[in-house]
Amino acid sequence: MLGIVIDDSRAMRKILRGLLADLGFEVLEAGNGQEALELLQSTGRVPDLALVDWNMPVMTGLEFVVEARKIAELRQMTLMMVTTESEHGQIVRALAAGAHEYVIKPFTRDGIIDKLALLGLVPVGVL
Amino acid sequence: MTNDVAMNVDVDLDIIAEQVWSAFLNSGEDEAIFAADDKGSHADLAASVAMVGAYEGHLVVSCSHKASRDVASVLFAMEADEVSQDDIGDALGELANVLGGNVKSVLPSPSQLSLPRVSATEHERWPGTVEVCRTVVSWRGEPFVVSLLSGGHAVHKTQEVPA
Repeated sequence: MLGIVIDDSRAMRKILRGLLADLGFEVLEAGNGQEALELLQSTGRVPDLALVDWNMPVMTGLEFVVEARKIAELRQMTLMMVTTESEHGQIVRALAAGAHEYVIKPFTRDGIIDKLALLGLVPVGVL
Repeated sequence: MTNDVAMNVDVDLDIIAEQVWSAFLNSGEDEAIFAADDKGSHADLAASVAMVGAYEGHLVVSCSHKASRDVASVLFAMEADEVSQDDIGDALGELANVLGGNVKSVLPSPSQLSLPRVSATEHERWPGTVEVCRTVVSWRGEPFVVSLLSGGHAVHKTQEVPA
């Protein structure tokens, strides 16, 4: 499976990349939503999963979700927000825009894996 | 919103700091002391995020060079002497971002959170602010002062205005 981690923090990208790699994912990285869209367009690859931060320069995570949902080729991509934005209204906005799941930082490794398992994105035998 | 209103907020920084250190820095009980004594604490760097909206202020975490290097070492899974200044800025900024997001969740809403800013404490100023509350986390023997400020002008670039 292919995943993409979209976060402006290199430290956070490294943490999430490691987590996904341990689950058997091949992992792409982008520092903001615009960079992610350009990467996916240039490579023609469609991730099974995108882990998306909210507050990023250039293009926020919410804007990325909105744009990604307009692109037919990306409609099968599961979108999980991983963010410090924890106000109820923000969570509702993200889900309404097309995000499938929402994880609030700081997260635990098990917390992310549990969410991925519910989405059917953890390979059998990993847990 | 004015400082007077913001001053009435009820934020338990100790609990938020404990949650963040535990989950974000994988900090065991033997590594961290929460609500620690801040006598003699020395800060070289400050990372902050601004909050604009129903609550206006800043969340600031400040610490020594050694402490910031330790944070980067943990988050980047590298030896402390291998991390770069960019790594330190990135890691400390993300720590402020995570602390700020969790603090914002218990403040009047809606508010926007800025991108984090990291700088030397000698250059960092938050004019027109007052400290609402603070806590000190002693982690690996180094103090981290976490302060919630109210008021002042948000000087950070902000993101995304909630509807």
